[in-house]
Amino acid sequence: MEQPVIELVDVRKSFAMPGGEERVDVLDIPEFHLDAGAQCALEGHSGSGKSTLLNVISGIQRADSGRVVICGTDIGSLPEPARDRVRADRLGLVFQQFNLLPGFTALENVLVAMAFGSGRADRGRATDLLSAVGLGHRLHHKPAELSVGQQQRVAVARALANRPRIVLADEPTASVDAAHQQQVIDLLRTTCTEHGVALLVVTHAPEVAGQFPHRLRLEDFNRAARTPAR
Amino acid sequence: MSLLGIAWRTIRQRLFTSLLTSLSLALGVALVVATLITAGVVKRAFASGGGLGYNMIVGAKGSPLQLVLNSVYLISRPIENISWDFYREFLPAAERPDGMPGRYAASVQTAVPICMGDYFRGYRVIGTNAAYFDRMTTVDGGPFRFAAGVNFRDDDFFGGVLGHEVARRLSLAVGDTFSPTHGADDGAVHDPFRVTGILARTDTPVDRGVYVNMEGFFLQEGHAKPVDGASDSTTPATQAPPAGGGGRPAPLPDAQREVTAVLVTTASIPGLPAELMAMGLKQAINEGRDGQAAEPVREIRQLLDLFVRPLELLLLLVTALVVIVSAIGILVSMVGSSLERSRDVAIMRALGARRSHVLATVLIEAVLLAVAGGLAGWVLGHLLVAAIGPLITTNAGVSVGVLSGAPLAELLLVPALVLLAVGAALLPAIAAYRTDVARWLQGPG
Repeated sequence: MEQPVIELVDVRKSFAMPGGEERVDVLDIPEFHLDAGAQCALEGHSGSGKSTLLNVISGIQRADSGRVVICGTDIGSLPEPARDRVRADRLGLVFQQFNLLPGFTALENVLVAMAFGSGRADRGRATDLLSAVGLGHRLHHKPAELSVGQQQRVAVARALANRPRIVLADEPTASVDAAHQQQVIDLLRTTCTEHGVALLVVTHAPEVAGQFPHRLRLEDFNRAARTPAR
Repeated sequence: MSLLGIAWRTIRQRLFTSLLTSLSLALGVALVVATLITAGVVKRAFASGGGLGYNMIVGAKGSPLQLVLNSVYLISRPIENISWDFYREFLPAAERPDGMPGRYAASVQTAVPICMGDYFRGYRVIGTNAAYFDRMTTVDGGPFRFAAGVNFRDDDFFGGVLGHEVARRLSLAVGDTFSPTHGADDGAVHDPFRVTGILARTDTPVDRGVYVNMEGFFLQEGHAKPVDGASDSTTPATQAPPAGGGGRPAPLPDAQREVTAVLVTTASIPGLPAELMAMGLKQAINEGRDGQAAEPVREIRQLLDLFVRPLELLLLLVTALVVIVSAIGILVSMVGSSLERSRDVAIMRALGARRSHVLATVLIEAVLLAVAGGLAGWVLGHLLVAAIGPLITTNAGVSVGVLSGAPLAELLLVPALVLLAVGAALLPAIAAYRTDVARWLQGPG
């Protein structure tokens, strides 16, 4: 049986309150895992620790304790540069605001992501990825010259730049209108299925979460989220 | 995409700010380059003064520096004259009417008289004899070369030779005539002289000299020394036919002759160091009342020590300040865009960029700005030098062009600027290095 691509065991994360003396628990997760190729929606109310969870999984932030295993590597024990490398090679990130680099074209946004991975910046592959999301004719357009839907497509193509095993999407529909929400979800799901990539979508929208075969509420496995943050 | 490519696109993204930063750098560098080149060229020109083919100048009592500036560099106010008899003391027996060697002849290899005081369209006119170009040497020790024509003959009273710069600027050619003016450009117009030759470029003050036969020079109005009993001693040239006219006029009587200075090459006697010979001659002349002897090399060295070197130091200080201000410009520009940069850095870090990547990207950006500004400034500086070249030539007597350079200083300038730029960019680079990714990418939840 293939091991999970994400495995969290006894993960805890807390932050110091302003003033520095009191701390607030944000994550207290006894166990969580996501299998290879699986697609899962994670629901949670505002302040429930969704973004922190994604930051811990992606290695942007380190858990205070516990094991964060990504594709068999316990990134919690790794120094920051090694965590950065795991993030570049194994994970693709799609942000709520898309977070494209405004001075770079669609093609360059994908190439930049490749620059930080272990492989070479492959212009052909970047072009193929953008063509696959329907942007073959917008390669050299900057984000400001693209529609919101097109920007989201660039973000999806960029997330797949380094052939990741997992795509993490943080509220990917929050910045698009209702008409485009379905397109975004369809794009993410279809693209990840085609590339055999696991997909973990964090959302506060039940109608989005309802479209995924696996649907979890953060409060169900994050003990810290059961008591609202002070 | 390489880090260089990312830095380049970041610069393009902030094109206006980047252009302004590079422009301010370019202007600073241009100023420095122009100053260094000009100072270097002028200094070299002065420093080469000792190698003009003579090692001593004899003139009227007064400032030895003024004598040198006037005689060698053709600048500064004209000086008093010395007597014809005193000049003859430097001549060998064969060149004297009495058949006896002059008082100083034994110590002299060559003595060439020069007479000054006339101008031709802003250029100094020097009356001399054919020995100036026949027997003296150029800075490199070789004989004078002519780009066109030949030296004037001593019996061709109205022949003249033009320095390279003069001929080029005034578009004069061999066979053309020119009429000097007395005392200043707006002075009385003298008889015309005919160009017999144009000197090849020497990059010395010789390039901007107008050399005419001393005999013709003597015959011009106001050039004859007044003597008791002479009926019309101030206008001997009224009898002289100008260039191109038939016959040769009578030369000015010796009693009415004066020269401005004598360019002397001291003799070298086997077993006696040349310096000793020069020192002895100089002492002998200076002890007398007829004139003074000055050594161009010594005078120029003193000038450099007293004036040029402190000026150089000041220029170096200005240079350093300009470069530092430029570096601060880079710092201000990069700090000013740090908010925008923080978001981009956070995105890149989220995509897997390591802190070292973003640090390097910011430093590369600073280096690119410094190199672009530095090179643009270097070119601009040379163009500036070319533009002010004629002014320098007029005032300092040296030729300066777009390709003139101050090699060592210029070679060091851009690397120094790059180092300073890196230093200035360290602050924003470290800020980028420390960017809190989670904070900048934080969404609700």
